[in-house]
Amino acid sequence: MTFMHQEVWGWQIATYLFLGGLGGSTFAISTVLHLVEGCNRKMLSIAIVSSIVFLLVGTGFLLADMLQPLKAIYALTNPNSWIFWGVVFINAYFAAAIVYLIPLLEEWPKLRPFIQAIPAGILGLLERFNQLAALGGSAAGFLVAIYTGLLISAAPAITFWNTPALPLLFVISGFSTGAAFLMLLSTFSKDEDTPNIAKKLEELDAVMIVSELIILGAYFNFAMFLPTGARQSAEFLFHSPVFILGFLVAGLVVPLAIETYSIFFAGHSKKNQSLMLLASALVLIGGYLLRIYVLSAGLYQYPW
Amino acid sequence: MPLYGMVMDMRTCVGCQACMVACTAENLTPFWSDKFRTHVEDKATGVYPDVHRVLLPRLCMHCTNTPCLSACPTGATYRTDDGIILVNHDRCIGCYACCIACPYDARYAYEQEDVEKEKALYGRNAAHQVPHVDKCTFCAHRVEKHREPACVSTCPTGTRIFGDLDDPKSEVHKLATNGKATALNPGLGTSPKVYYIPS
Repeated sequence: MTFMHQEVWGWQIATYLFLGGLGGSTFAISTVLHLVEGCNRKMLSIAIVSSIVFLLVGTGFLLADMLQPLKAIYALTNPNSWIFWGVVFINAYFAAAIVYLIPLLEEWPKLRPFIQAIPAGILGLLERFNQLAALGGSAAGFLVAIYTGLLISAAPAITFWNTPALPLLFVISGFSTGAAFLMLLSTFSKDEDTPNIAKKLEELDAVMIVSELIILGAYFNFAMFLPTGARQSAEFLFHSPVFILGFLVAGLVVPLAIETYSIFFAGHSKKNQSLMLLASALVLIGGYLLRIYVLSAGLYQYPW
Repeated sequence: MPLYGMVMDMRTCVGCQACMVACTAENLTPFWSDKFRTHVEDKATGVYPDVHRVLLPRLCMHCTNTPCLSACPTGATYRTDDGIILVNHDRCIGCYACCIACPYDARYAYEQEDVEKEKALYGRNAAHQVPHVDKCTFCAHRVEKHREPACVSTCPTGTRIFGDLDDPKSEVHKLATNGKATALNPGLGTSPKVYYIPS
């Protein structure tokens, strides 16, 4: 038996996986918050634009890693491939996000003339289908986030990846980073509704981090008891100080402690905004480190 | 239609690597980047004093249940009627999903630098015009002219035996079904069409 680190997918693909999860979940969380709670439309439009930018930049990293990016349209050929579905989900997401975003841009006086230049019929149609775009885009955003895990779990010889826990871990981590990004955004808002939204986001992120810790526990427990490359991968991660201190401690435990303090003891006061900022930044850095390290821990298990 | 496969008789491999050289010369693969379609693994097994050396020739297993084919989003990886797995160079976008999915380390990237180097070395005879993911083809271009793959015809010890797995009279069928030969990593369910007779 030979174990060999995969070197095919590096930091560019890790960045794509991170931005895919972040972009998809940022859209899904913002639109659901808008539909259920109602929130400042200006802040909402910033969140939606950010989520589109995340996915555009992420897709850019994926294309840059390809040997023939100009032929990427061929990726819509084989529905047995996860990349095929990734392209479908991302494009469905872009379509829904743009339909949802255009009416929101009227909130910005400088952009209003451009929006009003759109024929009234089209604008009316966009507004009519706004809720549908919100829900459709949220579903597509969720699928993009989970797809990032499904993509790398389709590797029979990389036993650490080839498990149903990985898509679950990536989607939960994606939603945690999405909530963290929106928390970060909320610290810049002076709107009176913001503390209420920030409270919801903080609670959501805390639940996501707890879920992530449970999945990580189950995932590593599973990996450590397998006589395969999965155990080698788990041991590799346990011996990586950046994974333990950067992701597990600074990216999960510390933000969870801050959020717990904020939820139960500080009552989301304005004073703890800097703490919230710190927690959000740590979750985002942790989410990126998770993808970098999961990719670098991918060990092929060859039979020779 | 025949169903092509190969048997590796590890009892006779001497690790001369003539198969690697023949493959490189036949398929113009990028030896300058240390990339080959076929390899000979040279491993030591056991614990002293009970140790022995294992020489394991390997290449694409042309699996029946093919993870690389499922992973390929563009359809660049395809199966011919005679069971050979090939890559359409023009259709490949080089996303590496097939490399990640392959459990046998059978694929590598034929990068832009390799294309340029090949052109410089072989001129008009260059076989790879665009960057793509490359792998063993069982020398399909030779097989269709009823010739054996280059690695098989060059092997001086007869380690590699190629033929129609569906033909009960063929040597490859007899060796693959005599109970001595096994596939690599059968537990993965890939059903390879390359079998190994252990040394």
